[in-house]
Amino acid sequence: MSGGGGGAPEPRKHGKAKKRKKGRRLGIRIDMTPLVDVAFLLLTFFMLTTSMSRPQTMEINLPPDADIKVEIAESNLLTLRINEKGEIFWSIGIESPQRIKFEDLRKFLRERAQTNPKLVTLVKVDRAGKYNMMVNIMDELNLAEITRFSLAPLLETDKTLMAKVQS
Amino acid sequence: MPKIKTKRVGVLIDMTPLVDVAFLLLTFFMLTTQFKPMEEVQIELPSSNSQFKLPESDVMTLNLAKDGRIFLGLDSQKLRRRLFGEQNELKASIEVPKDRLADMLIQARTANPKLRTVIKGDKEAEYGLAEDVMNILQKTKITRFNLVTNLEQN
Repeated sequence: MSGGGGGAPEPRKHGKAKKRKKGRRLGIRIDMTPLVDVAFLLLTFFMLTTSMSRPQTMEINLPPDADIKVEIAESNLLTLRINEKGEIFWSIGIESPQRIKFEDLRKFLRERAQTNPKLVTLVKVDRAGKYNMMVNIMDELNLAEITRFSLAPLLETDKTLMAKVQS
Repeated sequence: MPKIKTKRVGVLIDMTPLVDVAFLLLTFFMLTTQFKPMEEVQIELPSSNSQFKLPESDVMTLNLAKDGRIFLGLDSQKLRRRLFGEQNELKASIEVPKDRLADMLIQARTANPKLRTVIKGDKEAEYGLAEDVMNILQKTKITRFNLVTNLEQN
């Protein structure tokens, strides 16, 4: 292409500009190849650097006052405990916790939420656990349409409970 | 066969429409692009299926880094100058010690009551840090906030 472009202006060089200053204008051909090159270079740069999608967010509403006590029946309380290794244990009321795999959690939560609409979920994550784990659990809860749940600190008693199940 | 070959003199293609389109797209991308502000820390986001989008303006970001440091980020330069001081106004976020975080949050909220709080935690960050930050948020009466995540790919 550039070869063709370079050849075209050749005949115009010979004296045309000098003699006919006001003569009829022959279609001027500008070799646009470099222009296009640069334009596409910039275009690709901007196309690759631009990020179209803004990140997703999860909305959380905390109760305004932390000290409000809510009385609930023991049988309506589902506790999810997550230890530092990311292992999940569930229990209803004060039963001893049972281990559940993360993959089965969604189905399990959905079943629970359907069988008992009054279910209150309490999530306890170990302080040494990963933030990722909490986000995943919250995501599963959202997917199971359990939109009301509480987060509570994991206490030593919870740790011993979980340790008992493991051994 | 040789005759045809000799007849081929430089083919001229009118590139004008091509250039037009190229420049149109170029201007579009140039105008819509937003450069990522220089992050003080690299944060790898966790993924979720949540569909909420991050609000575009008036965002206050709390970055929780892998190593347990907390960075407070604001999107408007004016506010940054007020809170972080002149020398830090170009930084997207500054490190804030945990005990000063409540103060900073209150200051930021009084400066711009419309600020939305967003927590950007690293995947590998400890949950304890997030717990502390959420407690601080609750104490400073920020009861509504968002957790930034990537969209889950599956």
